Amino acid sequence: MDIVEVLKHTSPALFLPDLKATDKASALAEIVEGLVAGTSIQNPDTILQMLKSREHLGSTAVGPGIAFPHGRTLAVQRLTILIARSRAGVDFESEDGGPTHLFFVLVAPPQDSGHQYIKSLATLIDRLQDGDLRAKLRDAADYESFCAALKGD
Amino acid sequence: MHPQLQLLVALQDMDQMIRETEESREQLEGLGFKHEGLENLKRAREDLAGQIDPSLGSWYKRLTARFGHAVVPVVGNLCMGCFASIPSSFVSKTNIDKVQKCESCGRLLYWP
Repeated sequence: MDIVEVLKHTSPALFLPDLKATDKASALAEIVEGLVAGTSIQNPDTILQMLKSREHLGSTAVGPGIAFPHGRTLAVQRLTILIARSRAGVDFESEDGGPTHLFFVLVAPPQDSGHQYIKSLATLIDRLQDGDLRAKLRDAADYESFCAALKGD
Repeated sequence: MHPQLQLLVALQDMDQMIRETEESREQLEGLGFKHEGLENLKRAREDLAGQIDPSLGSWYKRLTARFGHAVVPVVGNLCMGCFASIPSSFVSKTNIDKVQKCESCGRLLYWP
């Protein structure tokens, strides 16, 4: 799956360019608020609980300054990707102990044809290995330039 | 949503997370994720299961063993487990005081 395919699962309404939260619990709550505001999702508590459960497994902040909160839940009917950014950085209990600035949140239904969810996750993780790209994403002025940088335009 | 249904949905999400972690551990760890909290998650799952009414918990267990998923969404008035039509009268009752079951397959119904 290429990055263009992955970006079909997000939208400008699912882009939070300036998270206010500074800790993990508040960041997850703000992210779920963003998901509800940007979609027709009806059950935010279920999504929040799922994302918290996933963090209990181990932090999803696995890249330098990047986290990938993710999981499956009945509360959504299709793969939905929210992108969030924190200027100040969030203490997301990252592996390297550093602050997290970029969040790619993948929420998938219990079953998805062709495992789009895991493939999307793998594509994003692979793409974000590039340190120059991460710097561009932190500075991108808006959703369009953020996506253009991700696509390598 | 009925509080018991909320718990059942959360339980099913958690069961799927545990199952997927166990089945795809190598693939997920290859992406960089660690799963050192799996045993804690299993304990949290048991705590959650303990809050569910025993008869519903037992129904959930039977359905999960039989179908894989006990709680299914209703989309376009169809049970997404067996594709039977759900009577429109169910919709009005859903958010009040009952956990609804599909009359055809018995799965627990969730309106997303």
